[in-house]
Parts: sequence; structure tokens; C-alpha cells
Amino acid sequence: MVDFTWLIGGEAGFGIMTTGVVFSKIATRSGFHIFDYVEYPSLIRGGHNAYEVHVSDSPVSHLSPTIDILVCLNKETYEKHKSRLTPSSLVVFDQDEFEIKEEIKKIIVPFKKILSELKGQPIMKNTIALGASIGILGGDVNELIRIISEQFAKKGEEVINFNKQFIQTGFDEVKKNYSNNILNYLVKKSGETKLVLTGNDAFALGSVIADCRVYSAYPMTPSSTVLTDLAAWQEKIGMVVRHAEDEISVINTAIGSSFAGVRSAVGSSGGGFALMVESLSFAGITEIPIVVFIAQRPGPATGMPTWTEQGDLLFSVFSGHGEFPKIVLAPGDNEEMIELTAKAYNLADKYQMPVIVISDMYLSESHKSVEKSFVDSFVSKYQINRGKLIGQDQVSNIKDGKYLRYKLSEDGISERLIPGTPGHFYQANSYEHVEDGHTTEEAQPRIDQVDKREKKWTTYLRNDFAMPTVYGDLEGSEIVFVSWGSTKGIVMQAQKLLLDKKVNSAFVHFNHIYPLDIDKTKELFNKQYKKYILVENNSWGQFGKLLKMETGFEFKEKLLRYDGRPITVEEIIKKLPN
Amino acid sequence: MATIQDFSGYNPTWCPGCGDWGIGIAIKQALIQLGQSPSSVAAVFGIGCSGNMNDFLNAYAIHSLHGRAIPNAIGIKIANHKMPVIAIVGDGDCYGEGGNHLLHACRGNHDITVIVHDNGVYGLTTGQSAPTAQKGFKSKSTPAGILETPINPLALTITSGATFVAQSFAGDAIHTISMIKAGIEHKGFSVVNILQPCVTFNKVNTYQYYLQRVYKLDESYKKEDFKTAVEKSLEINEEKFPLGIIYQNKKPTYTDQLGQLKDETLIGKKRFTDFEKITKLFI
Repeated sequence: MVDFTWLIGGEAGFGIMTTGVVFSKIATRSGFHIFDYVEYPSLIRGGHNAYEVHVSDSPVSHLSPTIDILVCLNKETYEKHKSRLTPSSLVVFDQDEFEIKEEIKKIIVPFKKILSELKGQPIMKNTIALGASIGILGGDVNELIRIISEQFAKKGEEVINFNKQFIQTGFDEVKKNYSNNILNYLVKKSGETKLVLTGNDAFALGSVIADCRVYSAYPMTPSSTVLTDLAAWQEKIGMVVRHAEDEISVINTAIGSSFAGVRSAVGSSGGGFALMVESLSFAGITEIPIVVFIAQRPGPATGMPTWTEQGDLLFSVFSGHGEFPKIVLAPGDNEEMIELTAKAYNLADKYQMPVIVISDMYLSESHKSVEKSFVDSFVSKYQINRGKLIGQDQVSNIKDGKYLRYKLSEDGISERLIPGTPGHFYQANSYEHVEDGHTTEEAQPRIDQVDKREKKWTTYLRNDFAMPTVYGDLEGSEIVFVSWGSTKGIVMQAQKLLLDKKVNSAFVHFNHIYPLDIDKTKELFNKQYKKYILVENNSWGQFGKLLKMETGFEFKEKLLRYDGRPITVEEIIKKLPN
Repeated sequence: MATIQDFSGYNPTWCPGCGDWGIGIAIKQALIQLGQSPSSVAAVFGIGCSGNMNDFLNAYAIHSLHGRAIPNAIGIKIANHKMPVIAIVGDGDCYGEGGNHLLHACRGNHDITVIVHDNGVYGLTTGQSAPTAQKGFKSKSTPAGILETPINPLALTITSGATFVAQSFAGDAIHTISMIKAGIEHKGFSVVNILQPCVTFNKVNTYQYYLQRVYKLDESYKKEDFKTAVEKSLEINEEKFPLGIIYQNKKPTYTDQLGQLKDETLIGKKRFTDFEKITKLFI
């Protein structure tokens, strides 16, 4: 069984991020699964960057407590991460740059010397380190050269060849000097083609699959790569990506384009979303579909921009003034991100309401390999459902010659006419309105429209809500973990390790967060003798509060982490009595 | 051809003598003269007495939030750039709450027409001063007189990149019609600033006040000359109000510059399904 962690660290601004993705791609192209995680300060230069890749021959979506290969491009990397080394870990570094006194397995690569001999830029230390890493892991250097060639294809043959020398030198250096230490971990094996995606890439891909045509955003870590992905693809895929002046304009652009009939989405982190919420309420009363992507980071205010937290759950659920229905989804991993993103567009159209897809830095910026066949099969299954969006021949809601945009109906949903349809007109009104959209302040129409909008929730719960997934045996386990969103893979790994110790556990993972089917959800929490443990990356136990509000159930045991770091498998296990 | 009746929704609730009446009729007339119908045009309204026109004008419309009509209008235009899109807004709405949107819409040369009701006050909230109020203007929110100097909507939009900036006076319906028409016909971001007395809350900028201070630009005026336009626009700082097209120029619009919209509108395009083109980037 292959299961190891490679970590590269160095000063910010020296290409650590790019190097990490290349490593993840080599691993997946060699037939393995990966999950990676990056730590970086909110700086462009200086500070410490660390990129770790967990490689395994079975699917992974968690980090390992130990590091097997630690590549130090500076001394700080060693100091910061040495506590995670084991006696068999290898440490790659340059003895000309710093010394390590501890008894460890050293793989000395003369970065400095190679750079000066080959006249390389300091950033090419990464390239040497990649060559050395592939060498020590028994990987295929040609695969690495192929990836680098693809990456620099636009820069021409000369740049590619220049980079090649650094790869080859790093590779040869370890092959020559450390032939006894080669760990044949990355030996190419057959395996399904895999995509190396971040949660943000998965949201972008899901949006393309769902035929989203307008994406509007203002850059904000950790959501920005959705904007940059889609901006890069827009001409190819027939989408318009607008980087607007602020988040208020962002959401109102999307409300305008959605009103005009195209699927539209916006994305931000908590702070940017805070600027959008007045307009979320506007989308609520005008019943204009919109998909909102939130990649959480620790707040309040500017908080810790490049770190992770699940602190905006209650804010999302209750966002917007006034009472209006919305749906909140929280994917647990990349596969769920693709599925739930595409579903979010269908839900927004069917129920004509805002649908929030909530992620966090840990899910949004970590890469996880996804089998391409999963995407292909999802694409072939996925049906676009635009609900009651209608064109000219389908107009039936007419009274006294007027089309009734907000006609009362059994399911709460009324036909939505594409503007420009000849012979009709209507207004989407942010004021309370009567059925044809005109403003009203009368009591009965107000009650009717509030009830109509609320009914859409009932219809959603009946037709499209999904109960949490239960992993493990709920009936037979005394221990029940409960979490939502990105902590999924971590809790599942804890379950696996517990099972090795013959401890059974169940795990209730929510990804359809709000609204909840209260009666059915209550049934999951009615076993008095069970030990329910809430696992959340925030300090309030926000999902626990929501569950209490909705069902009356209160958690006695909580594992909450709010230092900006993801929860670890080991913490979860430690939480249990021995 | 559509008639005034076709465009007329509920009866207006504006105060008798309000400048909005003239603007409301001018908008309908302009649309009729341009051959538009309530089904062919998109209108976005801000919040204020001006925005209340949403109930009086038939069109595919959004009655937006205060200040947000412009980004809504931009979104509609991006989705369907063949549809004429107008934003009907007030001075507090567009120069105050939504000021940032106005600046950036100018920069983007989005092909929408912004019709601003400029009366110097917030009428719907009972007369607090607006960003266009003259310095020292006394109102409920500025009892000792407003400390800030007024916004110059003409200079602001011209220098921010608007390609059509006009000014008219609500008391002159014929001229207002012609300015709105020219604004809608202009390809690019157009602003029509309409000077409008608020008979209830603004006792300074009355019909008499404007009649003494407005004048029409004559034919010798070079509206395409940027420097001339900026200079002309500064006259309002001295309470002289030129009426007419202050500035007009040709530049590619936002949607003109998008390759993906070259052949079709966004809403008219076929769904993209060649997902291999995207997935291959991640292997």
C-alpha cells in the first residue's frame, strides 16, 4: 500500500504553490489519488508558504499527521514542520544554506551550487526540488518534464529546455548519491484518469456543466480562483464574467442577467457576501433565481484571509432582511461540489430563489483528485431543469389581458416569462406586490404573497431536499459524529481508524443545510443512549445551534476548532474516551 | 405602433406640479417615437419618487433597490444586448447611494441609458438634501445648511468615461423627449440629467429658478470635443445650466468587446457542452 505525505516549504513568492500542483499532477498521472493543502500568509512576498500533498493508492480527502518527505527550501520550513517527522522521514535540503543538527535521514541537494552553475533564478530551486523529489520517490522524470513542457508551452522551446536541465540535475543528484534511500512510492501504475481539482475549480466546473452564463465577482480570498478560472474560460464556453466595482454591483449584475433569462451566479467570501445581503433579500422578493458561492475564511471583518473556518453558516442561513425563502447547500468534497453546484442552478430556477453553496478555504483551495469518469458520468446524467421559465407560447397566467408574474399557486411557484417576449410585459418588484407585479400595501395581497413564497420551501422539502448521508451503522453505533460541509473526509478517516481499533461509529453528514426536514431530522437524534459529537470548524458550534433551533436537540459533546486550521483526524480520535 | 395608452400603467401618484409628470410623459413619448413597445424594452427603476414610475410605465421592468438600478441594467444588457435598457433613477439614488456604480458604468461604456431625476432633494423621505443640493441648502437632515458642495453630474460622468451626457429641464417636455431619444439611440453609456423642481420640498430650485438659469446649447457647440464638454459642464457650479447634449463620442461598448457575444446574444447562444475542453486542463 502506498500512502505518504510530501511537503515543500519556502519563502512566499518563490513558486511553492505552482510546484505543489505540479507534484499533485505527477502523482495522479502516475495512477495515485491525492489530497493537498496549502498554508500561506496574506502576503505576496516574504512569510512562509507550505504545500503538502497526501498521496495514496486509494481515494483520500484528509491530511496525514506525519510527513514522509520534507523538502526545505529554507531553514524555516524545517523548523516549522520537524515535529511531524518520523524516524523514517526523509528531509531534502541544501547543506550550504543551513545545517540540521538532529539525527534525521538527510537528502542533501546542493540547490545553491546548481543554481549558480546553471545560471538559474532563485525561483528555480523549486524545479530542482521537484526533480529531486521525483528521484527519491522512484517516479518517472519524463512525466515531470512533460508537465513542465505543457506549462511553459506558450513560452517556447528555449524556456522549456532551460527548465529541463534543473529537473534533470535535481533528479540525477539524488539518484547518484542516495540510491539506497529511493522509496519506490511513485512507480507508475495503471489507474483511472484523474482531475486535480480544488473545491473552487469544482464549483467552476459544476457551473459550466449547469450552463451558467453570467458569473459576477469581486476578488476575495479564498473565492477568487472561481473568478479567475471562469474568466479564463469565458470566451470558450460562452459565459460573461464581470469583475464589478464592488460586491453590491456583483450581485445586482447577476440579478439583472438572471431576470433577463440566463443562469447567473456570484461568488465571494464572508465579507463580500455581507455586502450582498440586501440584494439577496431583493432576489428573494422578486423571485429571481441566483446562485451564491461563499468560500468562508476566519472573520470577523478582514479576519485571517488565507486560513479556514466554517464561521458563516448561521450568517448564510439567516442572511437578508425580511422573511424570504432560500436554500443553503454545503458540499463535503469535490465530487459533492460538482453535483451540488449543478443542482443549485436547477433549484434556483425551479424555486425562483437564492441558492447558497457554501465552502471554506480548506475545501476551496485544497486539491483533491477526482476520477474523470465521475465527471463524465455526472455530465451524462445531469438534466437542466429551468422550472417554470416560459417563452411566448407557454403564457397561461393571464388576467384581464395582463400576465401575472406572481400568480398564486399550489406549489408557490409561478411562471416566469423571459423579458422581451412579444405581447407581454411585467415588473419584478422589490416592493411587496400583487400578482401582476404592481406595488401594494394592502393586507391581503401581502399575506398571500408571503404565504406563496413560503410554500416554495414546502415544495422544495417534498421534492428536492436530501437528508444527511449516514456513514457507518447508525443503529449499532454508540458514537455518532455529526458535521457538515468540508469536514466530511476528516471525520470519515477518523471512523476508519476507530474501526481498526474495533470501535464502531456512525457519521451523519449534512450537505443540504437549510431548510431542514424537521420531522425526519429529529428521528436521527432521538436515541438517548447515543453519544452525539458535533464536529465544526468554528467556535459557536453553529450547525449545532441551528439544529437545536429547528429540532430542540442539543449536543453535549462538541469538537470545535477556530484557530484558522482545519480539524485533524487525530483530534477527533482524541476526543473519544479510551 | 405602440401608443401612450400601451405604455401607461397605474395613474401616477406624484404631487401636482411635480417635475416627474413631465419626465414620465417624455419617457413614454421617446419610446413611442423610437418604435418601441412595452414588450421590447427593459426598464430598471431605483427607489424614490422617480422610481415609483415603475407602476405607471409598462415595460419589462425591475423595481430595484435604492441605488442599484445601474448594475441591474448592466446585467440585463449583458444577457440580451439587443434589447434597449434604461435605468430611471433619482439624484440621491444614482449620485448618492449608487454613486460607485455610476462611475464604473461610465468606465465600462455599458450600452444603457440612465435617466436621472435631479431635484436636489429626497422627496419620498420628505425632503432631506440630495448630493446635488447647492451648498448651504437647508433641509430636515441639514437644518444649518448642507456642508458639502454639490456633485457635478455632467463633469463627473464625462470624465469617468460616459460617451453620451445630456441635460434637460423637466419643464421643457419637447426637449426632454429629444434628449431621452438621443440617449437611447446612442450606442454606449448615456446619461440624461433632468433638472426637475420638487414643488413640495425644494423651495429654492423652483420652475422660476430654472427658467432664469437654463439655456440651450446652439448648433455651433462641439459636443464631441472632450475639453469643451468638461468646460461646459463646469458652468453648473456657477448655477448656469446648459441644456442639450453636452458630450457625445463613439467608443466600443462593453458587450461590443466580448468575443463570445460577437454573433449572438448571451441568451440566444446554444449551451456549451464540450466539457473535455475544460476537464483536460486539470489532468
